[in-house]
Amino acid sequence: MDLIVCLKRVPQTAEAEVQIGPSGKEIVRDRLTFDMNEADSYALEEAILLKEKFGGTITVISLGLPDAEDTLRIALAKGADHAIRIKAEDFGELDGFKTASLLKDALVNVKFDVLLTGCVATDDSLYQVGPVLAELLGAPHATLVGKIEIAGEKAHVNRELEGGLIEHLEMSLPAVFAVQTGINEPRYASLIAIRRAAGKEIKLLGKDDIPSEHRVNSTLEKLFVPPAGKRAEIMTGTADEVSARTASLIKEKGLI
Amino acid sequence: MNFDLTSDQKMLQDQVRKFAQTELAPLAPEIDKSGEFPWPSLKKMAKLGLLGVIVPEKYGGSGFDFVSLAIAIEEISRACASTGVIVAVNNSLTTYPILEFSSEELKKKYLPQLCSGEKIGAFGLTEPNAGSDVAAMESTARLEGDHYIVNGTKRFITNGGEAGIYVVFAYTNRDLKHKGISAFVVERDTPGFSVGKHEDLMGIRATANCELMFEDVKVPKENLLGKEGDGFKICMNTLDVSRIDIGAQAVGIAQAALDEAVRYSKERKAFGQPICNFEMIEALIAEMATEIQAARLLVHYAGFCKDKGMQKFSKEAAMSKYYASDIAVDVTRKAVQIHGGYGYSKEYAVERLYRDAKILELYEGTSEIQKIVIARELTR
Amino acid sequence: MADILALVEHRQGAVRDVTFELLTCGRKMAGTLNAKLTGVVLGHKTDDLVARVRNHAHRLIVMDSEVFENFNAETYQHALVKIIEREHPYLSLFANTAFGIDLCPALATQMGYPFTTDCIGVEIVDGQVRATRQLYDGKLDAQVRLTAADSYMLTMRSGACPAEGSDLTAEVERIETLVASQPEYRKFIEYIEAAVGDVDITKADVIVGVGRGIKEQANMPMIEELAKALGGVVACSRPVVDANWLTKDRQVGSSGKTVKPKLYIAIGISGAFQHIAGMKSSDTIIAINKDPNAPIFNEADYGIVDDLFKVVPVLKNKILELKK
Ligand SMILES: Cc1cc2nc3c(=O)[nH]c(=O)nc-3n(C[C@H](O)[C@H](O)[C@H](O)COP(=O)(O)OP(=O)(O)OC[C@H]3O[C@@H](n4cnc5c(N)ncnc54)[C@H](O)[C@@H]3O)c2cc1C
Ligand SMILES: Cc1cc2nc3c(=O)[nH]c(=O)nc-3n(C[C@H](O)[C@H](O)[C@H](O)COP(=O)(O)OP(=O)(O)OC[C@H]3O[C@@H](n4cnc5c(N)ncnc54)[C@H](O)[C@@H]3O)c2cc1C
Repeated sequence: MDLIVCLKRVPQTAEAEVQIGPSGKEIVRDRLTFDMNEADSYALEEAILLKEKFGGTITVISLGLPDAEDTLRIALAKGADHAIRIKAEDFGELDGFKTASLLKDALVNVKFDVLLTGCVATDDSLYQVGPVLAELLGAPHATLVGKIEIAGEKAHVNRELEGGLIEHLEMSLPAVFAVQTGINEPRYASLIAIRRAAGKEIKLLGKDDIPSEHRVNSTLEKLFVPPAGKRAEIMTGTADEVSARTASLIKEKGLI
Repeated sequence: MNFDLTSDQKMLQDQVRKFAQTELAPLAPEIDKSGEFPWPSLKKMAKLGLLGVIVPEKYGGSGFDFVSLAIAIEEISRACASTGVIVAVNNSLTTYPILEFSSEELKKKYLPQLCSGEKIGAFGLTEPNAGSDVAAMESTARLEGDHYIVNGTKRFITNGGEAGIYVVFAYTNRDLKHKGISAFVVERDTPGFSVGKHEDLMGIRATANCELMFEDVKVPKENLLGKEGDGFKICMNTLDVSRIDIGAQAVGIAQAALDEAVRYSKERKAFGQPICNFEMIEALIAEMATEIQAARLLVHYAGFCKDKGMQKFSKEAAMSKYYASDIAVDVTRKAVQIHGGYGYSKEYAVERLYRDAKILELYEGTSEIQKIVIARELTR
Repeated sequence: MADILALVEHRQGAVRDVTFELLTCGRKMAGTLNAKLTGVVLGHKTDDLVARVRNHAHRLIVMDSEVFENFNAETYQHALVKIIEREHPYLSLFANTAFGIDLCPALATQMGYPFTTDCIGVEIVDGQVRATRQLYDGKLDAQVRLTAADSYMLTMRSGACPAEGSDLTAEVERIETLVASQPEYRKFIEYIEAAVGDVDITKADVIVGVGRGIKEQANMPMIEELAKALGGVVACSRPVVDANWLTKDRQVGSSGKTVKPKLYIAIGISGAFQHIAGMKSSDTIIAINKDPNAPIFNEADYGIVDDLFKVVPVLKNKILELKK
C-alpha cells in the first residue's frame, strides 16, 4: 500500500503568549517552540499502522521553511520511507488553497492508495488542505476521520460529527483522509530508527521544480488581538485565599 | 569547530525530551514520595533503545556515541532525577564495562538482556569501609575449579534492590593491593547472593539503593571481566565514562530548576510587580543560565573526547562531573531561593530538585576526588 | 447584484440549530447588499425541513430525493455545482461543521471560487469579501480579504452569528434532482450513535471539566475528589479523551456533549471554541488556568490564574469545610 502523509510544522501556542510582529501580518517566532501539527502526528501514525499491516511505502511531504526538515526527519525515524520539502521560502504568501495546489504539483507523479493529512492545523485553523488536495488530485475524500479500516479496494471510514455522532462511510481507494486527533496513539521514534533516518535524503522542491503560477484565495490584511469579550472576574491571592473565596461563592449559589 | 548537534543527536534530543516530559516528569514527584522503582517507565525506555544507547545493534543496543548518551541522560534527568541515574547506571556502569572488557560470549549473553530491560544493571564497588578509597575494599573472590567464590558486602548500590545483573569488584589477591582487584558479572539469582538494607535517601529516592551481600557466591570463571587483577583499571576507566553521564544528569537537574525558577519569577508578585523585575532575581537567573550552559559544554566536550577515541580523558570527565555537580547544587539552591518559602515546600518541584542535586557531589567519586584527578593530571 | 445562498444543514430528519445562525448571517448580508437570501434544501421528504426554515429566507431551492436523505459530501457537491451554476450567487454560505468543511473546500475548488473557512465575521468592503478568522489556538484574530471574483464561498463558525427570528415567507422552488445515486467511491452507510456511559453529564448540576493541563492520568483522582466534594461529575476536553484518560461520553464540546449545568469548573482547559460550544450556557463558569491569556477567561464568570495542582486540592478542602 502506497501512503502519503502531509505534515506541517507549527508553533506550539496553547500555553504560550503569541505576539504580533512589526509587519502586523506575522507573529514573533523566536520565543515559540515549533513542532509537528497535532492532528498531523495522528495522520502519520495512522499511515505507519497501515504500512505495518499492509506493507508498502510512506512518503511524507511538507510545505515549509528549512526547519520543517526536522519534522520530516522525525517522520522518517518513525517509519516514513521518503520525504519531500517544498521550499516555502520560494513561494510567497500562502493560503490553504495555494498550499494544496503546491502539494498537488509536487505529488502529481507519486502513486498512492491512501493520502493522509491532519484535519486542521492549529496555527491557521483552515480545515482546507485535505479536501482541496483531494479535489485537485481527483480523489474522493473524507474529513474528521476517526477510524479507517481497509479491506481490499474499499475503506470503511468513520467521520466524527458534532455531538459524538459518527458517520460511517464506504469509500474506494485511492482516497484522501483528513484525520482527527485521538484516532490512534502516536509513537516515539526509537533510537535505532533515528540513527537510520539521520542519513536519509530529503528531496527539495523549489520554484524551478514547480514553476506554474499558483493563486491564493485570500490575502492576510492584518493580525490583531481579539477584542476582550466578557472577561472573567479574576480572583487574586494565595491558593488558600482564592480557594476560600471560590468555595463561598459556590455556597452562595446554593450548590453546597 | 562546530557546536551543532548532528542530525541524529537533534532527533534523539527531540524524542527523548518529549518522552521524558510526557511520560516521566508527571511521575517524578510521586516516585520521590513512594520510593517506588519505575519499572513501567524502564520498560517503555527499553523499547525506545534508551537502556543500551552506546551498545552496538548486534547486541540489542542503539549504537549511538557518548555525546548522544549524555544528551539522553540530561533530558531524562530533567524530567526525573531518579530515572536519570537508573538509566545512567544501566548504560555506562553496566553495559559499558561488559562491552569494553568482557568476552564475546558474555556480551552476547548479558547485553541483550540489559538493553531490552528484561534485567537492569548495577555497579557494586562501594563497601561499608571503602568509598573514596577503593583499595580498602574487603570483598574477596577466590578461584575454586570453574568458579570464583565471592564474599563481602557492598553498600549504597544504585538499582541494587531491583537489578538482575551486577558488575562487582573484589580482591582476587589482596597482597597486590589495587592490582589485586578483579571485576565480575554476577547474576542476581546466584545462591548466596542477597539484597540487604534499602537506603532511605535524601534525594533520588526511587533508585532501589541497597546493600548487597555475598556469602560464598559461586560465579562462573567466564564471568571475570578482563583478566585477574584488571579490576581497578576497569573500574577507573568505567568511572571516567560514567562521570560524563553524572555531569549530564547534573545539567538536566539544573535545567529543570532553572525552568521552574523562571516560570515562578514571572508569576509571583511582590511589591506590586513580578519578582523577575528585581535586579537581584535577574542576577540569580543570569548566573544559573550561564552556569548551566558552561556545564553542558564541559559535558559535551568530555563526551566528544571519548567519542574521538582519546585514550585518556579522565581529566575532562572529572572536570565535567565536578563542575556540573557543583553548579547543579548551586542552581537548585538558587531556584529554591527564588521561590521563597514556597520553595521549601514539597508542593514545588524545586524542593525535590534541591534534594536530588546533592548526591551529584558524592557518588561516582566525590568532588574532592574529582579535584584530585584533575590536579594530579596537571602536577604529575 | 446577485444573491446570497446558504445551505440548510439537517441531520436525522431535523434542521440543525447552526442553520438558523447561518440564515441569520445570510439575511444580514443580503440586507446590506440589497439582495435576497436563498436557502438550499437537499433532502428527502423535505416538507418538514422546508416548513422549519421557510420564515428564514426569501427563497428556498429544494431538491428532494432519497439520495439526499443523509449527508454525503460527494452527492451534495454534484447538486450544488448545478445549483450554483444556475443561480450564480455572489456569496455561498456554509456552516463550519463536520458537513460544511467536508463539502465547501472541495466544492469551491471545483468551481474555482475564492473561499475561506471557519469565519467568525464577514463584511463586504469595496465589493470584496473580508472575513475575520481566529488563529493560533484563538489567541489572535486575522482579517483576510478574498481574492476578487464574482462569486465567493465561506464557512461560518457556529456561534459567530447568533440566530435571530424572522418572518419572511420564502417562495419555494422545487427543482429536478440532478444526482441519480451515491457514487461508488463514497457511500453513506449509517450513523453510529455515541456509546452511552455510566454517567450522563448532561443531567448534572455541577460539572468539573478537566483539560490537557492535568498532564497525566495519574492526576485524575484529584479532579474526581473535587467533583465528589461538590456532588458533581467529571467531564473533560477532547485531548483528555484522545489520551484515553476518560471515555468519549465525558467529552464536552462540539464533537462531544453540550451541557448546561448550574456550575461548570474548567480546570486546565484553554477554552478552544469547540470546547466553549459545549458549555457556554452553563449558569456559572469558573476557570482555573495558569495562563492569564487563555481564551477560557473570556467565557468564564470567575477566573483563577494559578497552577491547578496547587489550587484544586485546597479548593476541595475548603468545600468540604463549608459542607460541614
Ligand atoms: C545515593 C548513592 C548512590 C550510590 N550509588 C553507588 C553505586 O551504584 N555503586 C557504588 O559502588 N557506589 C555507590 N555509591 C557510593 C558512593 O560512590 C560513595 O559514597 C562515594 O564514593 C564516597 O564514599 P564514602 O561514602 O565512603 O565517603 P568517604 O570516602 O568516607 O569520604 C568522606 C569525605 O572525605 C573526603 N575524602 C575522602 N578521601 C579524600 C582524599 N584523599 N582527599 C580529600 N578528601 C577526601 C570525601 O570527598 C568526602 O567528603 C552511592 C552513594 C550514594 C549516597
Ligand atoms: C473538529 C474538531 C472538533 C473538536 N471538538 C472538541 C470538543 O468537542 N471538545 C473539546 O474540548 N475540544 C474539541 N476540539 C479540540 C479543540 O480544538 C482543542 O484542541 C481542545 O479543546 C483543547 O483542549 P484543552 O483546553 O484541554 O488543551 P490545551 O489547549 O492544550 O490547553 C491546556 C490548558 O491547560 C493549561 N494548563 C497547563 N498546565 C496547567 C497547570 N499546571 N495549572 C493550570 N493550568 C494549566 C494551559 O495554560 C492551557 O490553557 C475539537 C477540534 C476539532 C478540530
